Amino acid sequence: MTFTLAVHSSKGGTGKTSIAVNLAAAYAQDGKNVCLLDVDIRGPSLCSIFKPETQFWVNDLLSGKRGINDTIHDVSDEFGTEGKLFVGYSNPDINEIREIARKDRNWQSAALKNLISGKKELANKNIDIIIFDTSPGVEYESINAVAASDLVLIVHNSSAACDNCTDQLIQGIYSPLNKQCAIVDNMYHQNVLETPDEKKFGIDVVARIPCMCNVATRNREILTLTEPEHVFSKSIYTAKDKIDRSYR
Amino acid sequence: MSENELLEEILKNLQAINTKLDRIVGKKESFSEPEKEDITDSLDIMTLLSLPDHLRTTATTLFEIGPATAEEVSKVTFKERAVESNYLNQLVRMEHVEKYREGRKVYFRIREK
Repeated sequence: MTFTLAVHSSKGGTGKTSIAVNLAAAYAQDGKNVCLLDVDIRGPSLCSIFKPETQFWVNDLLSGKRGINDTIHDVSDEFGTEGKLFVGYSNPDINEIREIARKDRNWQSAALKNLISGKKELANKNIDIIIFDTSPGVEYESINAVAASDLVLIVHNSSAACDNCTDQLIQGIYSPLNKQCAIVDNMYHQNVLETPDEKKFGIDVVARIPCMCNVATRNREILTLTEPEHVFSKSIYTAKDKIDRSYR
Repeated sequence: MSENELLEEILKNLQAINTKLDRIVGKKESFSEPEKEDITDSLDIMTLLSLPDHLRTTATTLFEIGPATAEEVSKVTFKERAVESNYLNQLVRMEHVEKYREGRKVYFRIREK
């Protein structure tokens, strides 16, 4: 059965895209068929990691102009993953981003239906895992992705602002939509005297990833593939195993 | 006044009444409300979040499974068919959902603009 994760956060810059990309690669390396979709259509990121050659974008899927099969691209050979790894990109053209910003509620309602239809098509294509890389906060596209997912993976860092906003998202978005949630505590500043929390906001912490500059400087690499023994990669594999054990 | 003259007088009065009634009915029709303009938007995720819990679950299910009967929705939500039918009809009255018939079955779907 296909399992869908939305990687979301209350604030920008928490590391959602890094987590989403590396988690997708970890699942694919584990032999799963994976589809990673960039639904951050106001601030596309995946195109800077994968360098796509594409005619059609996630934008076309959401607007109903194209089906999911036209939108996703197989990058498994390029990255040598055991399972299939498909990626769907958002259009980085500023004119397209401006156009999306003008869309109304009717368009967003249709976009949710198109996203759910795309998800069903991926299930028929034997995709095991779908990962949505979302925009931060309460943007239509990210909340649509949350609604279409089985699990929200909250990427959190320990700033006061992030704490307050994450709590609000849990109360105001994830709980009303009856979503399962898990937390990745990213850019964690370790304190040896502190016992790490198993839970935050009553939600399981599936990985705690220390703050490391070389993760940021190597952000065009997929560390779970290029250096599986790296602390970051190990944390991602830990998160993957915990998700499989507790939520799938 | 002879009987014939009396009948003619009655007929004349009836015709006058008829003319006046036609005029009244005509006026009423011209005063009838203009057709209601369709200003309702499709149900989007933010509006869905503002619905009460029971209706939100029903609407979310309809988004997930697509057009469905009350029975099909009730199988997902684990509520009674009659309960779901009631919720779906509430969503129809709120103009978030539309109802249509296919054969003997009544289907519901998220309303499209």
